[in-house]
Amino acid sequence: MNLRFIEWIWHIKGSLALAPGQTAQDAFDSLDPLFRQRGTTSERSGTTLTFTKKDQDAQDKMSIFDDGILRIEDGATGPVLRYYLASRALLFCFLAPLLFIGFGQLTVALGKLETPAKEEAAKKPEKEEAVQPQNPIDKFLGAPAPEKPKKDPADKAKKDDKKHSPTAAYVFAAIFAALYVIGRVLEDRLIRSVFRKAVRGSEELPELVTA
Amino acid sequence: MDGIRVGNRIIGTQAPVTIGWENIPRVEGGPVKQFVFTHFQPAVLFALIAFWYYAPNSIAKASTAIGIGIAFKVLLLALEWVNPRYRSWQLTWKELVTDLFYVGLGYTILRMVDNYIGDGVIIEAIQNSFDWDKLSWFTGLPLLVQAFAISFMFDFGQYWMHRGMHNWYPLWLPHSVHHYITQLNINKGAVGNPVELFLIGLGIGGFFDFLPRAALLAGALGMAIGTYQHINVRFNTPRWWRFLFNTTEHHSLHHSQDFEATRSNYAGSYIFIDRIFGTCIDGEAELLGMEGGRRMSIREQMTFPFTEGWKTIQEKRAKRRQGTAPYDDEGYEQTDAIPAE
Repeated sequence: MNLRFIEWIWHIKGSLALAPGQTAQDAFDSLDPLFRQRGTTSERSGTTLTFTKKDQDAQDKMSIFDDGILRIEDGATGPVLRYYLASRALLFCFLAPLLFIGFGQLTVALGKLETPAKEEAAKKPEKEEAVQPQNPIDKFLGAPAPEKPKKDPADKAKKDDKKHSPTAAYVFAAIFAALYVIGRVLEDRLIRSVFRKAVRGSEELPELVTA
Repeated sequence: MDGIRVGNRIIGTQAPVTIGWENIPRVEGGPVKQFVFTHFQPAVLFALIAFWYYAPNSIAKASTAIGIGIAFKVLLLALEWVNPRYRSWQLTWKELVTDLFYVGLGYTILRMVDNYIGDGVIIEAIQNSFDWDKLSWFTGLPLLVQAFAISFMFDFGQYWMHRGMHNWYPLWLPHSVHHYITQLNINKGAVGNPVELFLIGLGIGGFFDFLPRAALLAGALGMAIGTYQHINVRFNTPRWWRFLFNTTEHHSLHHSQDFEATRSNYAGSYIFIDRIFGTCIDGEAELLGMEGGRRMSIREQMTFPFTEGWKTIQEKRAKRRQGTAPYDDEGYEQTDAIPAE
């Protein structure tokens, strides 16, 4: 299968114009602190830098990336840094909604399996439940009096249905879908900003170069 | 590191910790910020108690409690941005995704499992066979007494379960994963191996659903006190609060990289339980986690108790084959795994 069409899901790529005359050595030296983090190994070879990260620190600026390649190339207006980074966290977040939809479906399926047992249980006569007493202190302070427990079998059925409700699973599926979109956009921008600040310091923002 | 003597123990020989309330930083900023972050915790606690005490029966329901719980967590997430305790604990996208994954497991698959083999099924069996008239003395007590009794019983059980996890290797294995978190944020309490999350979820909470208002009040106490265990917010917590209740400061010590510091502050809500049993240490820590703060991936969090347990069994077997005792002179297991005791 050709992954070219789906790899954007967990890969982030981009490019950044370097200052005129900035060499690959200079650029990689500026980026070096990013690759001196715990769990990071990197290798430079001429105009190419490859890295891998494992058990990245939570505050590592590249914590979402597990490996990647950075390359310095000659662009039309000067040297350009091109990067291609892989993130298992993005892939995980992309797939998480499927997992939670699966949990939802499993909940529904288990509920259907249990229906005959529930009907059987509903036939059993329920004990008469007395209203709970209210302490005089609570009465004096104005707390609402306890209600007599409802004997409506529909209530018990409703309680059982809640046990087999897939709603929570679907809500989390939606949350992770939203988090994926946010993360895919946010982390793309953040890493561009981190690289830009590293290679250009506080200089004015260079114009983006299309990949 | 020299460490600091606390009773018979030396705390902070392996990683920096701050001991004593007088050494803990205060909220920085103007008078309004100072006021808010000094009175926020008691104000929320008393407001919630008043709400659940007086709410009409039509509102005093579990669904309302769930809604309030979610809204409260969102508010606390906002507070983490406004007034973080440590910049080094700032919530990132990846941390949020990881934390919410575990929160999601708690609301879905773990709840499902609990309905079949957890406390849900045990409680239902007891409720169906118990003579409730025997409890009429309890149900006639004032609501707040009932609520405190329920939450105290729950927390007392949690204290011993938690302490057991730090003292018995088979229980430590699943709990150890939770100690690999390297920062505290509002949803970090949910992070851990599912086996541990199942064990720690065993409790008496559902047992009291025949006393809906007292149970909801007990839940509110847990939420308004216990939620602050894992939070990255600097509060000027009142002296009486930190004497009675667990705080993020206490719990950060419990998560410290210093082994001796982790063996303290086991209670979830009521730190006075730790004070009674001599396991309370007042203080805080910034550097958290195990193995010098190595952050564990979700994949490893899922498998670690099993792989580590298997490794230990293999090592024991190897040592037996070589004729070496599996325990050292002090009676501790000789293993590479981070010891629980």
